Amino acid sequence: MQAGLSVVGASLLVWAMMPLAPGDPVNMILAARRIEEPTLEQIAALRAQLGTDLPLWQQYLVWLRGVLTGDFGFSWRTGQPVMAEIAARLPATLRLVGTGLAISVVWSLALALVAARWVGRWPDRLVLAYTRMMAALPSFVLALLVMQFVVVGMGLGRVLSGGAGMTLVIAAMVIGIDRAAGWTQLLRAGLLAQMAQGHADVARARGASEGRILTRQALPGAALPFLTAVGISIGGLIGGSPVIEVIFTWPGLGEHVLMALSVRDVPVIQAFVLLAVLAYVGASLLIDLAALWLDPRLRGQGAQT
Amino acid sequence: MIRLTAGGAWPRTRTAASDGLLAALWQHRQGRAGLLLMLALVLLAVLGPALLPHDPNLPNYAKTLAAPSAEHWLGTDATGRDQLARLADGAHRSLGGAALVMALVFGVGLIVGVVAAVAGGLLDIVLMRIVDVMMALPGLIFAFAVLGLLGPGYLNLLFALAVADWAYYARLARATALDAAARPHVEAARMMGRAPWQVLIAHILPAVAWQLAVLATLGMGGMIAAISAFSFLGLGVQVPHAEWGAMLADSRFYFTIAPWLLIAPAALIFAAVLASNQLGEALRDITTPEGRS
Repeated sequence: MQAGLSVVGASLLVWAMMPLAPGDPVNMILAARRIEEPTLEQIAALRAQLGTDLPLWQQYLVWLRGVLTGDFGFSWRTGQPVMAEIAARLPATLRLVGTGLAISVVWSLALALVAARWVGRWPDRLVLAYTRMMAALPSFVLALLVMQFVVVGMGLGRVLSGGAGMTLVIAAMVIGIDRAAGWTQLLRAGLLAQMAQGHADVARARGASEGRILTRQALPGAALPFLTAVGISIGGLIGGSPVIEVIFTWPGLGEHVLMALSVRDVPVIQAFVLLAVLAYVGASLLIDLAALWLDPRLRGQGAQT
Repeated sequence: MIRLTAGGAWPRTRTAASDGLLAALWQHRQGRAGLLLMLALVLLAVLGPALLPHDPNLPNYAKTLAAPSAEHWLGTDATGRDQLARLADGAHRSLGGAALVMALVFGVGLIVGVVAAVAGGLLDIVLMRIVDVMMALPGLIFAFAVLGLLGPGYLNLLFALAVADWAYYARLARATALDAAARPHVEAARMMGRAPWQVLIAHILPAVAWQLAVLATLGMGGMIAAISAFSFLGLGVQVPHAEWGAMLADSRFYFTIAPWLLIAPAALIFAAVLASNQLGEALRDITTPEGRS
């Protein structure tokens, strides 16, 4: 219900970009396509295609109906259908973001478990110092340094990737390492909070080793806030991928979105923004389901209401 | 909805951290490190342009990509401009821009959040629904949308980042205001007959401002990173103006012959985000001692 309301509100906001865009869209389209002296027929044809003569609420409904059937109109810059252009590039972006996400989850899990197992001792201090450093290094700066030192300097991967295998690993590792910093801190704190609770003491009294308590008792309890943070960040990952893609010349949405931004190609930007919103809302729903599976107490509540 | 009325007089109370904030930060290990690092960067921004002899935007084609030397401490870029002068000049846009955005979202968040909490009722519901919608647009995605609407440019970028970020502050401001209003000493102030606006100014606003200041300091690093990332992509600061992210973009293709051109701005971005994060974490520890990690 809440999520549905947010999506409707978000769609309204995203749609509003069209009428809010300063200047006549027809002029912007002509400018984006670098047509300097349009004929009257060209202008009339564009107006009919845009449907800007309709009242606003009708424009919104027409737009919404299109969006629901996957039709975002045509790119102001290229004149091609927005959806076709995005569909051609989306798989590469999803491959990169998905691999990055997986690396990030595994890496933060490993670091947090090590830190929590030897809390206060040198492995913990090392992990904390490392996460502080990484949290201060923006992903695009890390990507640039890796590009120069690893790809150019050591000859791993290719500068002009075209989506090649080694570049995927390197670029995904940049995304993964960047995201893992915050998640490691979060998961470590969650694990420590769980280790201090009564059920961990009971397990201790029954002679379980600290390592076993950590993985069997603390980890399931600390997993939910961790997963929630992972889910929330998926929209941000897609939003942050253009800059990484541009640095690694990854053939995903990045370059396309940047071109759209620099010439104010509104339909393409609308599609990109809605895509990220859908990924975010979808991930939130998945996390809610995962919560039911992880925490039996929530199931009871669901049955009562 | 906050109740602000009752009768009597009550001495103005102080929030725990309002005395000697600098001293408290200095006592905190991370706080001291962050304070010193941030001070160094601010000095670079403030004193650099006045003390450095070179014009950051004046090209010198006789001396392009020069290595660091006594005259050009950090070398010159591809058009012969002094790199150190550009770093100092760029600090205004990277650091100053982030501070400006934080001040903006602090102000808007404070006003929207406190108005929603005090007014209650329909206004509260409407404002919070708007906040919900904004928060469904994850991270910087909405900044993309606003930037796409306005077109590339530095002020457009700052505006877009502020629009994308204010909702989190409004949400926290409202929650803090409601929480503060329910505290015993505020209850007491109300019963003693302080006027509603007095309760608001003496008790509610300071609590809200503290919470928002912590959040803003914690968010400052991300804002510096965002400004430099968008400028790196050519969507923020425009030529010929210097900004750390834009300087990274300018220097990346000369890395094999002039690696220092890339490393210096990267190091400054790192230092600025690190300093903000350290300050933010220290501030959070000071204001909520039980949350220490």
